[in-house]
Amino acid sequence: MIKCPSCQKRHPANTLFCDECGAYLAAEEDKHTDPLAMGNVDWMEETQQASPGLSSLNADRPLTLKLAVRDSGRIIEFPLTKEISIGRLDAASATFPDVDLTVDGGLEKGVSRRHARITRQGMDLFIEDLGSVNGTVLNNKRLTPYSPHPLKTGDEIQVGRLMLRVSVA
Amino acid sequence: MKVKTDYYAILGVSRSATAQEVKSAHRALVQSLHPDVVQDDTEVEQFHRVQEAYEILSDPEKRAAYDRQQAEAGFTEEPAISLQVTLSHHSLPCLNEDQALYALLEITPSPNIETRRLPLNLCLVLDRSTSMQGLRLQRVKEATNYIIDYLDDEDTLSLVTFSDRAEVVLPGQCLVDRVRIKAQVSAIRSSGGTEIFQGLRAGLRELERARGSNTVNHLILLTDGQTYGDEDNCLLAADRASRHQVGISTMGIGQDWNDKLLDEIALRSGGTSAYIDSAAKVTSFFRDKIHSLVNVFARELRYTLRLGAGVRLKDSFRVSPYIACLQEREGGFYLGQLNADAPTVVVMEFIIAPRPPGSHRLFHLELVGDVPVLGRQHERIKREIDVRFAPTRELEETVPPRIVSALGKLSIFKMQEKTMDDLERGQVEQASQRLETMATRLLNIGELELAKAALLEAGRLSRTGHLSPEGRKKIRYGTRSLSLLPKEVRGD
Repeated sequence: MIKCPSCQKRHPANTLFCDECGAYLAAEEDKHTDPLAMGNVDWMEETQQASPGLSSLNADRPLTLKLAVRDSGRIIEFPLTKEISIGRLDAASATFPDVDLTVDGGLEKGVSRRHARITRQGMDLFIEDLGSVNGTVLNNKRLTPYSPHPLKTGDEIQVGRLMLRVSVA
Repeated sequence: MKVKTDYYAILGVSRSATAQEVKSAHRALVQSLHPDVVQDDTEVEQFHRVQEAYEILSDPEKRAAYDRQQAEAGFTEEPAISLQVTLSHHSLPCLNEDQALYALLEITPSPNIETRRLPLNLCLVLDRSTSMQGLRLQRVKEATNYIIDYLDDEDTLSLVTFSDRAEVVLPGQCLVDRVRIKAQVSAIRSSGGTEIFQGLRAGLRELERARGSNTVNHLILLTDGQTYGDEDNCLLAADRASRHQVGISTMGIGQDWNDKLLDEIALRSGGTSAYIDSAAKVTSFFRDKIHSLVNVFARELRYTLRLGAGVRLKDSFRVSPYIACLQEREGGFYLGQLNADAPTVVVMEFIIAPRPPGSHRLFHLELVGDVPVLGRQHERIKREIDVRFAPTRELEETVPPRIVSALGKLSIFKMQEKTMDDLERGQVEQASQRLETMATRLLNIGELELAKAALLEAGRLSRTGHLSPEGRKKIRYGTRSLSLLPKEVRGD
């Protein structure tokens, strides 16, 4: 049985769309099979290098990312257990970002489907632009694509023309 | 028996026709060719050929022997219709619970078949009530003139206008003197009320008189208003048209017409129903409709399904050329006509009960249709589809994007239907929320216009408890024609 993440209605395994609210149900499976998920590789290296005691401490301490969308006032929270993708949902091209900015006017504000991602190494966060059309700006500095940059609470990220304020707990 | 003679062609049936179909075809021919009825020598000879063909094809042993000899001599028949079946998963894991599985059917004319264009017997039934005056009637006249130029010399056109009464402006005729005909069109004036049934009845009569042996018979009804009191008669007329193989397609212009009635008329007679939101678009609607009529490749397309053990069909929809729910009627699932230039695509959702590993029958499908360009009736294609069950989930297979995309569009269509149901039951807030969710999904697939309309109506619904007549039509007809090709999306 699959439970719809949007409306909680139950469906038989393999159901692709919830017929109550139209949500795409196969999203979770898709993300795990994404061959470009390089975040996992980073963490593995990190635990190999650090001392066993310390690394298990770092890996276990839960961190939550909070993004406040300035224009719409929406607050999005995500546990930082893996990399967090930011962009616009598009079932037709099988793009299912963790943070979907469609409802905040992402399309009009130039947010790409695969726009940026936030990764974690131990207690440090990094933001990386994924080659988006309109770019990602961190605290008024434009990021070079595919180059992770440190991220901390209070930072302001601009994806396309959409402003997000970061806080980490 | 003579191997070189094509007995099937003489009776006008496909090689896959059943014994019952052969018998019916023979009876129909004999009634029109009997020597007591007919005096022409060539027709008497034809009658004898029909009898000879029937003698062979009605006897199972003789028919089998004939088929064998034909195959040996190299006279095989190319199937005219091509059917491709794609499953969402080739293998499923053995689970202790039900699982869903999707099948996509793509139906097209066989690539090697040369398509010919059939003569069209067309009747335009046009509303000329007072509300049509000015720009609307002018654009309708322009669109009509376009059709007069577009049709061939072998097509037949008739024109009926209606308000309180119906007038036959053009009795069914070939387009010999186009100039004179256009002059008659330009003389149409608007006045009076709207009595759709009057128009329909006169139009159907003209079509019957001008009908030929192989013509595609169709009526296009265009109106901008409501008819009162004759809705039932209109539906009866649609039923009768369907029995005589006449399709009725309806076009509503503006906001004030009854979309439920026009949809039902089209549904019962096997035609299409369209919403013309601006007078400027009438010509393009007429053009697209005529184009699809003359490009008909197969008619009476339908399929029957025999499901495997423990397999349930949850639902079945056509998604191309436009979305519609398919209900099983006696004779199977009806698809109507297959066009030469646009595939018919169907999506089916199955629920499969748990079972041990191995190969299991999913369904047995039989697709039947008449192919008039080849003179074949009851062309039949059979397909048996199995699905494999493995002890554990095998290599990650991705569901073919074609299926995901079709289901995505379908899910928006289903939400639209649910929204209308909510409104009928007075659940305004739920309907409004559904419309907002629909807007997001429409944005995701690049349907900006439709997304905006859905959002506007969601707001209006919250504030007033009603949809605007225009918004309602936009959403209903827009979701129905969500095309399978993705629209251009800004951004990347």
